[in-house]
Amino acid sequence: MQIRDLPFPDPGHPDARSGPRLLIWLGKQQRRQQVVAALWGTLHMAALACLPLALGLGVQAVVDRSGERLALAGGLLLVLGALAAAGDTMLHRVAITNWITVAARLQQLLARKAAELGSALTRRVAAGEVVAVSTGDVEKIGWFVETLSRFAAAVVTTVVVCVSLIIYQPALGMVIAIGVPLLTLGVLPLLPYATRRADVQREKAGRATELAADTVAGLRVLRGIGGEELFLDRYRAASQEVRAAAVRSARMWALIAAVQVALPGLLLIAVVWYGVGLAQDGRIGVGELVTVYGAVTFLLFPLRHFEEIAMAYSFSRPSAQRAAQVLALQRSGRAPTSTDVHAFGANTGDDPVELGGDLYDPATGLLAPAGQLTLVVCGDPDAAGRLADRLGGHAPGVPEPAKLATDTHEEADEANTANTADRAAHTAAASDVARQNDNPTARPDTPPASGAPSVLLGGIALDDLPLIAARAAVLVQDKDPVLLSGTLGELLDVPCSGTVSAQEALDAAQCGDVLTALAQAADDGSGDPERAKITERGRSLSGGQRQRLALARSLVTDPGVLVLDEPTSAVDSHTEARIADGLRRLRTGRTTVVFASSPLLLDRADRVVFVPDGAVADVGTHRELLLTNPAYRAVVTRQSDEEPVAVAPGGSTHQTTEARKIEESA
Amino acid sequence: MIGVAPPEYDPAAPESATTLPVGSTLTVRSYVRELLLRHRRAFGLLMLVNTVAVLASMVGPYLLGGMVEDLAAGEDDVALGRTVALFALALAVQTVFVHQVRLRGAILGEQMLADLREDFLVRSVGLPPGVLERAGTGDLLSRITTDIDRLANAMREAVPQLAVGVVWTGLLLGAITATAPPLGLAVLVALPVLLVGCRWYFRRAPSAYRSEAAGYAAVAATLAEMVDAGRTIETHRLGSRRVTLSDRRIREWTSWERYTLWLRTVLFPVISGAHVLILASVLILGGAFVLEGWLSVGQLTTGALLAQMLVEPVGLILRWYDELQIAQVSLARLVGVREIEPEDTDGAATPEGRDMRADEVRFGYRAGTDVLHDVTLAVRPGTRMALVGPSGAGKSTLGRLLAGIYAPRTGEVTLGGAELARMPAEQVRQQVALVNQEHHVFVGSLRDNLRLARTGAVDRELWAALSAVDADGWARALEGGLEAEVGSGGLTLTPAQAQQVALARLVLADPHTLVLDEATSLLDPRAARHLERSLARVLEGRTVVAIAHRLHTAHDADVIAVVEDGRISELGGHDELIAANGAYAALWRSWHQ
Repeated sequence: MQIRDLPFPDPGHPDARSGPRLLIWLGKQQRRQQVVAALWGTLHMAALACLPLALGLGVQAVVDRSGERLALAGGLLLVLGALAAAGDTMLHRVAITNWITVAARLQQLLARKAAELGSALTRRVAAGEVVAVSTGDVEKIGWFVETLSRFAAAVVTTVVVCVSLIIYQPALGMVIAIGVPLLTLGVLPLLPYATRRADVQREKAGRATELAADTVAGLRVLRGIGGEELFLDRYRAASQEVRAAAVRSARMWALIAAVQVALPGLLLIAVVWYGVGLAQDGRIGVGELVTVYGAVTFLLFPLRHFEEIAMAYSFSRPSAQRAAQVLALQRSGRAPTSTDVHAFGANTGDDPVELGGDLYDPATGLLAPAGQLTLVVCGDPDAAGRLADRLGGHAPGVPEPAKLATDTHEEADEANTANTADRAAHTAAASDVARQNDNPTARPDTPPASGAPSVLLGGIALDDLPLIAARAAVLVQDKDPVLLSGTLGELLDVPCSGTVSAQEALDAAQCGDVLTALAQAADDGSGDPERAKITERGRSLSGGQRQRLALARSLVTDPGVLVLDEPTSAVDSHTEARIADGLRRLRTGRTTVVFASSPLLLDRADRVVFVPDGAVADVGTHRELLLTNPAYRAVVTRQSDEEPVAVAPGGSTHQTTEARKIEESA
Repeated sequence: MIGVAPPEYDPAAPESATTLPVGSTLTVRSYVRELLLRHRRAFGLLMLVNTVAVLASMVGPYLLGGMVEDLAAGEDDVALGRTVALFALALAVQTVFVHQVRLRGAILGEQMLADLREDFLVRSVGLPPGVLERAGTGDLLSRITTDIDRLANAMREAVPQLAVGVVWTGLLLGAITATAPPLGLAVLVALPVLLVGCRWYFRRAPSAYRSEAAGYAAVAATLAEMVDAGRTIETHRLGSRRVTLSDRRIREWTSWERYTLWLRTVLFPVISGAHVLILASVLILGGAFVLEGWLSVGQLTTGALLAQMLVEPVGLILRWYDELQIAQVSLARLVGVREIEPEDTDGAATPEGRDMRADEVRFGYRAGTDVLHDVTLAVRPGTRMALVGPSGAGKSTLGRLLAGIYAPRTGEVTLGGAELARMPAEQVRQQVALVNQEHHVFVGSLRDNLRLARTGAVDRELWAALSAVDADGWARALEGGLEAEVGSGGLTLTPAQAQQVALARLVLADPHTLVLDEATSLLDPRAARHLERSLARVLEGRTVVAIAHRLHTAHDADVIAVVEDGRISELGGHDELIAANGAYAALWRSWHQ
């Protein structure tokens, strides 16, 4: 595998049962390359090891006053040097290629896993893990893989050199053959301490970076209201903690460096002492003494690889464990069938079988007749969000970690939870609760997706369709759609029916001002908004602008059934009225369901369904319901039961009940 | 064709104009000078310790050379005991000083790094609000995370190690020359090869490594976005496209890896070659000199062993020089913040009274395109004014001018007769606060999150502020109360709770005028309702300019200003404007049916 052939057409199916198994699997994928690297490494080190021999021959030649032998020694030195250089360069090339192929393979596997998990990833549990593996762990695993071949070469060379020394000069050779393993082991006991301190340092550094990033992210708030010194002091404290931890870690590395000087030094002294004695007795030549001295200095070089691999393994083992856990994640609920998996790889935008007919939810009794604009009023935004999710089928769940042997960093948590699956579910539930803190009554009304009967589209249960087919039939735009980074043209280039042009969709969503703003910012100076870059999550745009672009994207798709959850909550009234008209015009004859409570939207619906407590309570037009249903009126028109914003507080009874509700939920 | 051309696509190329300046070479140099000057003692000490360590490491070859000399001469008394004792002593000295070099190097590096990141944050929090509003915080954010990270390596290792390497090389060359002056010539043989090779490499390497790093970051960023937008990607069936995109990023990244690997494929043989050349020329030339009788065998041995030692410091220099060049770019981005002009403010502008006026204000974000045209507006103390109008009409911009964040291009915005633009941010915020959708919850305790608005506030005042915005209920229920850790990594507050925290901060900061910019618009309607009651309490007794988002906000305002195309087209009370039957009246009717 050459770098230019990357990325892999298919990164394969990893053995993600555990960290070590993943490492072995990765190793197997590049077995040949590892052997090649080790061979080059052996050439490199063997040539280096022979340099002292040439040096010794040269000195001996000079002592014996032989110019001819001196020239020969010089020639040998040059040849050995050339071999060493070639071996070194090729070792580097192959080892780095191994690193890069492993990193690329892992990144590809992660991307495919992320695509497979889809909406299941938005729950925090898995999302953070995937990103952490991609940004930190891949490099550490790559480091280990890269070191592996050099380590193999170092072992071979060390053994060969020691054996040759024993043959070349048995007495001195024995000293070295015994001394070298001791040297190797000498530093090892210190390494765990050093890596632990390095971990502490990294953790503190991460914390300081987080604080700094957090301070900068909230800088506009700080500059607008004060408190800069408070946060600077806090950061300074964190920064100094990093410094202290780094120095603490450096103490250990300095100690290791000192040991690495002292131990080989002692061996050298022993060799000199013993060797000079031998030379005095005439048992070895002067040149041989120089050779042995040189060989000992050389041996320090492969020794470093012993330490490096120990470090690389201690860093990469937990990384591999984390990577294995992420790669073993699966979408909960119905296991993805093989057709699902293929659909992810193969789907290029052509809709599968077009489904049609009325959309009906047996759990709530909600009916959205085919071809009509149905507005749904829930009163509770969270209940609305869950109902909207149901309407699309395959309601987003929590990814399940595959059951695997727990690793050290899991063990800490084991006291609380029986297994990782429990933990994931637990955390997800906790974040759900946090999200719904101020809506204490919101939770129980809709049963979990697995328990409720599936939503039917033209009589077909969406949950029984493959995921991709369900998503193609019904598009549910949630409250917080994400604008993917790229140009505006790329943003609107989504799998679609082809009936609605980008321009029509943008017009209907009232994106005129967004286009003007983007055109001015188009970086190629073309003034073409299509080519203007939208930054990550559309942060350069206002909330209302983001919402309208997201709506335009959903309109371009032109799905058979479009479900929108509060699509205009951040849009001003002027614009909202125009969007309502545009939406109606563009979706004529198509099934559309909108969750909203704005009169501007409700007034333009064919049909308004009132779903106050998890079940349909009333159906009619906006005006009919306003006249006949007081509960509906209360939800839709604020003035009837609440004090508006710019007036001093008057509704004290509301405040107390509301406050009590919050208290209960917290 | 031999070699690899640099890939065409460069991920390090700026995607759009950098929003904040990047430091010029001059600024970077003066900053580095300042940093070294600040730590000159530690730096001097490091060099001294290093010199001792290197000198001690040369004792071995000298002693061995001496003994080889004696042995070659056939002398019986080589004073082995004394030599070994000296060897051991030198080793002890070397061990201690190598330990010190590593430690002092790290201490110095860490100190400089801490200075650097703290300096940067100090500069950042002093930036004028107008600059932040315009540039956003994204650029700053990437500087404090990515650039600091890259610099960490350079400061921690590169600077001390480079200094060590240079001293080491110099001493070794000096020692070779001192041992046997003719051997100095032998070293020179390799110099041209090394120079030509390094020149070639260092011309290409730094920018290539930058692109490679940016390419790898793009791979991770693409995945992070995929994870973040998992739901949207599934909804729009973009999974396979994102996988394709991710594969493309991998190809872009690996093509740069391939290029830098080629660069090293040239550099490595050059370095190894130079090293072998030095060794061979020392041996052959030196050997010839010995045969000619110009050198002794001992001198040759010492020289050859010293030449062999050169490999390490030269490797050190080459390895870290790379890193330093990459770091330089990051440093330029960090110190670039220093080049932002401070606001042209004068502390003497003190407002008298609370009358807010905009007089013939014109303003634009880009030269030549004004967003506001000739706006004149007066807000009397205690009144509630609503700004309504279509998106992009300039409501938010006008609000930011009234809050003193931007200075008008022509005309002036005054508060109590004093020009807002001439007041420093610290003074403006005692008078006016802008309340927008950005309700950042800082990582830290709830107490810190509130105390930022009034640094000296005691707990009683903090609770009072929380209860003023209806937030004391859930806050008391938090484990730890004010001590509770919130923000990312801690307890996640709901958007509504976060907004209440932001409102409680306003109660504590207590400015007399508030500019509300769609403060509650991003929230769920239901959450927005009780927040509006919290807000109503905060607004009590203050002058309010509300950028109205929903019409009922406008309905209750004392004065409504309709902003269209950067001009105020209608101005008056609700009933007045309804009677006038203009744009506002039309909208009101459609909304209120």
